[in-house]
Amino acid sequence: MSRTITVEGDVNAVDTRVLLTGQGSVTAPSLVVPAGMTKIKQIIAAASHDGAADDGSAIFFVRLGGNAVLGGEQVIVFAGAGNQTVQAGSDAAPNAMVPFVIKDTDIDVRPSDTISIAAEFAGVDIGDTAIAVTLVYGK
Amino acid sequence: MGKLFRSREGAITAVDTKSQLATLGSETAPGPLLVPAGAKILKAIIAVVSSDLATAADGTFFIRLEGPGLPEGPESLVVGATGVQVATGGSYIVPAQRYELDIPVTVSNEILIFAENAGEDAGSCNVGVTLEFA
Repeated sequence: MSRTITVEGDVNAVDTRVLLTGQGSVTAPSLVVPAGMTKIKQIIAAASHDGAADDGSAIFFVRLGGNAVLGGEQVIVFAGAGNQTVQAGSDAAPNAMVPFVIKDTDIDVRPSDTISIAAEFAGVDIGDTAIAVTLVYGK
Repeated sequence: MGKLFRSREGAITAVDTKSQLATLGSETAPGPLLVPAGAKILKAIIAVVSSDLATAADGTFFIRLEGPGLPEGPESLVVGATGVQVATGGSYIVPAQRYELDIPVTVSNEILIFAENAGEDAGSCNVGVTLEFA
């Protein structure tokens, strides 16, 4: 059996750790690892940026921590983005990303404890970004 | 034991220049990346490259893994390539890629991660690498 949690948030500054705590219309979804779940079996992550910063070059990563994560904080890169000149007008390039997926992630977690999911981008400011992460729990 | 994921990132600003990846976003000095207790192999790496597309050029990117944490010696892997026709525009975002490996590691010893831009100068670039230990 699997269980899932999805969180999302905006990261609008480079080198800034941002906790992802929202879920669209749900402002504070539970971050407690469901009872009986002992592994993160899969991670799905996606990001977008608005192309509003010249000379942008950034890599995106997620941080999984909190009391529920055994073995210390797990940090995983999941995307890269670049931008030359501020994108504007009808010719502005779209920045759509197919989600990054790690199957068989196999990260040990403690059920009924709280996980923290944070995201960052590093490098050179890429503009405003939106990031979403899904964790698939299992045994 | 479950898997353990450790990451570093850094910038490349010149072609054919070995650059160490030693930061982690808001952590400017995360310290040495040590093989975590219980790990036996480097099971995979996850890597991604970004470029600001500021030069009309084409380049490739690879990483080097070195240090006493790798008893069999250094390794190198291609992790991406970029090119752009004109240096006045362009915008993109791409997912990272995972590369399956099976490399022995030595617990509590350091692995150093370097990245390089080969070919032509691809502008100001950043590389992120995650080591997946099992």
